[in-house]
Amino acid sequence: MNDNIVSQVLKHPKYQELVRRRTRVSMMFFVATLIIYSGFILTMAYLPEVFAQPLGETWTMSVGLLVGLLVVCSAVLMIALYVWFSNKVFDPLLDAVLRDVQ
Amino acid sequence: MKKSLLGAALLALMSQSAFAADGHGANTEAIVMFLLFIAGTFVITWWAARKTQTTSDFYTAGGGISGFQNGLAIAGDYISAASFLGIAGMVYVSGYYGVIYAIGFLFGWPVVMFLVAERLRNLGRFNFADVTAFRLGQKKMRILAASASLTIIALYLIAQMVGAGKLIVLLFGIEYKIAVVIIGALMMIYVFFGGMTATTWVQIIKAVLMLFGGTLLAVLVLAAFNFSPDAMLAEAVNVHPYADKLMSPGEAVTSNPLNALSLGLALAFGTAGLPHILMRFFTVSSAQEARKSVIWASSFIGYFYVLTFIIGFGAIALLVRHPEFFNVGPDGSFNMIKDLIGGTNMAAVHLSNAVGGSLLLGFLAAVTFATIVAVVAGLALAGAAAIAHDLYANVIAEGRATEEKEMRISKISTLALGVLSILLGIVFENQNVAFMVGLAFAIAASANFPVLVLSISWRGCTTRGATIGGFTGLIVATVWVLLSKTVWVDVFGFAEAIVPFPNPGILSIPLAFAAIWFFSITDKSAEAQKERDAFDALTVRSQTGIGRSGAVDH
Repeated sequence: MNDNIVSQVLKHPKYQELVRRRTRVSMMFFVATLIIYSGFILTMAYLPEVFAQPLGETWTMSVGLLVGLLVVCSAVLMIALYVWFSNKVFDPLLDAVLRDVQ
Repeated sequence: MKKSLLGAALLALMSQSAFAADGHGANTEAIVMFLLFIAGTFVITWWAARKTQTTSDFYTAGGGISGFQNGLAIAGDYISAASFLGIAGMVYVSGYYGVIYAIGFLFGWPVVMFLVAERLRNLGRFNFADVTAFRLGQKKMRILAASASLTIIALYLIAQMVGAGKLIVLLFGIEYKIAVVIIGALMMIYVFFGGMTATTWVQIIKAVLMLFGGTLLAVLVLAAFNFSPDAMLAEAVNVHPYADKLMSPGEAVTSNPLNALSLGLALAFGTAGLPHILMRFFTVSSAQEARKSVIWASSFIGYFYVLTFIIGFGAIALLVRHPEFFNVGPDGSFNMIKDLIGGTNMAAVHLSNAVGGSLLLGFLAAVTFATIVAVVAGLALAGAAAIAHDLYANVIAEGRATEEKEMRISKISTLALGVLSILLGIVFENQNVAFMVGLAFAIAASANFPVLVLSISWRGCTTRGATIGGFTGLIVATVWVLLSKTVWVDVFGFAEAIVPFPNPGILSIPLAFAAIWFFSITDKSAEAQKERDAFDALTVRSQTGIGRSGAVDH
């Protein structure tokens, strides 16, 4: 790949839009991941009594176990959402850039 | 040579099982299932061997794996000894504590997806060192990547060898040391003859069978409680010595919250630095396929972890009803944790026998075992790539090595790694496998992850910063593990550990990032300026894939 193509791509408005939006979206998703995950770990480490409570009078299952299951689901859902974004938004932008420079 | 090796391994297995027929652990139906399965994987290896011609085939299956297939293969790598046996075993011992591992392992995937997966595929060809060496100094980056990769692989190998070794002991009643040697030999056969194509296909097929077997086991367990998970948990709490503490984070976390945090950090960021997982992104043809791999992999892994919880708690609730799974004392009593035959890593395996009989036992044992051997083979391949592709071809021969020579070196490396894994498997016989994998993650998160992320996303990153930072993370994390209870006390036999808790992540990860940052911004050399200028070319290629040669050479 030569410098000519690089500078051509860098100047392409669709490329700039792609990088800007993709960086923003992936950072948003990353921060959301960090919040959910660190929230879970910190609660577990410093407020274990919250997780130790049973769900209700007649339940054995604890709050922590249910939260754990939901956290597992959230990870898969976030990835699915990101893939959906990529397919709908980023791939068309990328295609436009590739059409123009190649 | 291939046939004789293969025959020798099978013969060893069969003669050993015949000898074990009168001891406990021998089980004809299970053994037949098991041998059939192993034979099946040899057929795949034989088929793949005919397709493996170039280094590209050997390391990355020629880049011809689809996103869905690759997702299954990654899931296969993940739901192996560490997850299935280790997490189920951990839940069996301490209940809720096992959950932290499962969630940590899973949360590596969003990190991989949002930060590295697609860019990695666009930048590299064989392994992640290709990515960091894109604009930073070849030699130093490759030496760093190879050192870190080999350390991680060694730790990861221990976990897999112990898991598979215990399984063989349980099933065939043979000695642990012999079992470990057999696994090492089988692994070398897979890698030697089939390369990445074979390990990928073995992994894909087994991931499917494992998901099926795990689902069946979980359903059978729940059926024993009329499909009420809560009734199962109630019974578990009823019989386990921890009683209702099973449902809460427990001693292990509350006595040392910093250790839990440290472990959590390592698990989430470690996946993005694991050489054998990153290598799987080069087996797909494009960034889009890499993205698909992640969604499939994380869905399968997430689903499987939920099954693992059911299996772990189910094992607590059901195994105590079967004294035959325990080393029962003269008075007929047993401790459900200390006396489990084969150790607590085998809880899931005993459970399959309890609810599904010897057919399910044989099926699950075979699938688990073959998965482990394939994971070990994948690890050996990543190690061979580090030695032959990074150290030999790019550092020692400076890019002038021929393909045949590189291939030969990688096969010799595989042999060496096989022997190493056998030795490590013997030394670390009694460690929990999930725990050992946790340590491998800590080193991946401290040495590889910071360098990888900063080199592709921060213009200011220079070779000097990345080298010093990467080695800082690697050395701090490794020394910490050596000085912790796991090695210092359990292996070397000293009375007390020098560091307060076993997981280094909380110190080593931030330290590595800080060192990369500091030694990069203070780097005023002309080289450093060139590397910063090359960031544009890197960004364009990582974002668009323009200029990528694909996984194939030509």
